[in-house]
Amino acid sequence: MKTAGEILRQEACFMAEPPGRARWFWYLPSVLLLIVAGNQLRLVATASLSPWWGGGFGMFSTTDAWATRHLHIFALRPGVRRELDIPPALRKKVEQVLVLPSDAQLRTLAYEFADTPTPDAGPLEAIELQVWATHFDPETLTPSSTPIRFLTVRMGEP
Amino acid sequence: MNAVNLALRLTLLEILLRPIGNWFLQPIFLGIAALGVALPRQIRWLPLWIALFVLAALRVLLNWPMADNHAYLLCYWCLAVSLALVSRDPPLCLALNGRLLIGWAFAFATLWKVLSPDYLDGRFFRVTLLTDQRLAGFVQLVGGLTPDVLESLREVLTQHVDGQAFTVLTTPAEPTRFLWLAHGMTWWTVILEGAIAVAFLWFVNQGISKVRDVLLITFCVTTYAVTPVEGFGWLLIAMGVAQCDPARRKTRLGYLAVFGLILFYREVPWVEWLSTRSLEVTSPPW
Repeated sequence: MKTAGEILRQEACFMAEPPGRARWFWYLPSVLLLIVAGNQLRLVATASLSPWWGGGFGMFSTTDAWATRHLHIFALRPGVRRELDIPPALRKKVEQVLVLPSDAQLRTLAYEFADTPTPDAGPLEAIELQVWATHFDPETLTPSSTPIRFLTVRMGEP
Repeated sequence: MNAVNLALRLTLLEILLRPIGNWFLQPIFLGIAALGVALPRQIRWLPLWIALFVLAALRVLLNWPMADNHAYLLCYWCLAVSLALVSRDPPLCLALNGRLLIGWAFAFATLWKVLSPDYLDGRFFRVTLLTDQRLAGFVQLVGGLTPDVLESLREVLTQHVDGQAFTVLTTPAEPTRFLWLAHGMTWWTVILEGAIAVAFLWFVNQGISKVRDVLLITFCVTTYAVTPVEGFGWLLIAMGVAQCDPARRKTRLGYLAVFGLILFYREVPWVEWLSTRSLEVTSPPW
């Protein structure tokens, strides 16, 4: 009876190669690494992905991590703009949005807050999301922050 | 023990010592790794490594974009092991992948540090050393900060600010010794990581490639004494062992010693002990 390993080895006959010589499939892990790291560079440049994440080995290279970003969420009703608290149950999703504040992620998160009760009357018109990143002064380290993504999601929009 | 078996065993040990994955992936990871360690003759069992690769890939995908570098590297490494096991020359295939993966990982780590607007000027380490609670002992011991100064600096740095601060903040001055520490760590890290990238991607055993093991061991000894990400360090050691020239027994022993040293760094709070002791020595007895 052949073991599963032996069967898999036999099935992998297309990979047969003489010993001592590198074959094309040996480079697959490196190719995968380069594709993921290249995609991470693209997302940092185009979608404000934090360089810490996304598989590009940017950890420990910048203070721009999710912990130094923050989110403000507002419920917009006729004549009222009220900031919403972030419930503990949504912390994980908020962290994901802080890491990658793409429109799709922000939109998904906005709908999570659509049912949040507020004392205001009137129908919910929109949810406004603001993602800010903290910067530190090069000399004094005094923190300040700048907006990196703002999005207003009208309720009822697809 | 030959290099391939040793590298595979160290990889499994790394998974056991630093459990990874969410509530349902973690027990499977641990079970498979324990199986591999408990049954030494099955260490090269291909389905085991394919299963680990699939789990590692799932971990990255389910957690995207929050998976850390370690998760990605483990995924590539398990794929490399699987490919090595179906190849006719597992030691050569694994050595090639160990060298390339280390080289590319350090190349991108260096690239990000050079591209970053707040790394080369020392800000990253100044902020991180002050705000990361896990580094408090090290900062006090080496940076010369007292707990009071550290706390007041941390308060300023972690306050919530939208736009510019409304109130004028008086940031306590950072001691000169601390600034030297931050700038020293900045340049040490970027130069060492850059050198490792070049050494591992260079032609094998030519030029700087000859010192690649020394560079990687130096990186692990110095970095993981301070940085609490031991899982990544252990994975680098496993990959380092795989690509190490079989004739260099002492270098392999060096890798093994550093694997143990990283475990020591994690389990023994030696920095905190030294830090507390230095505070006791410098504080007046009243």
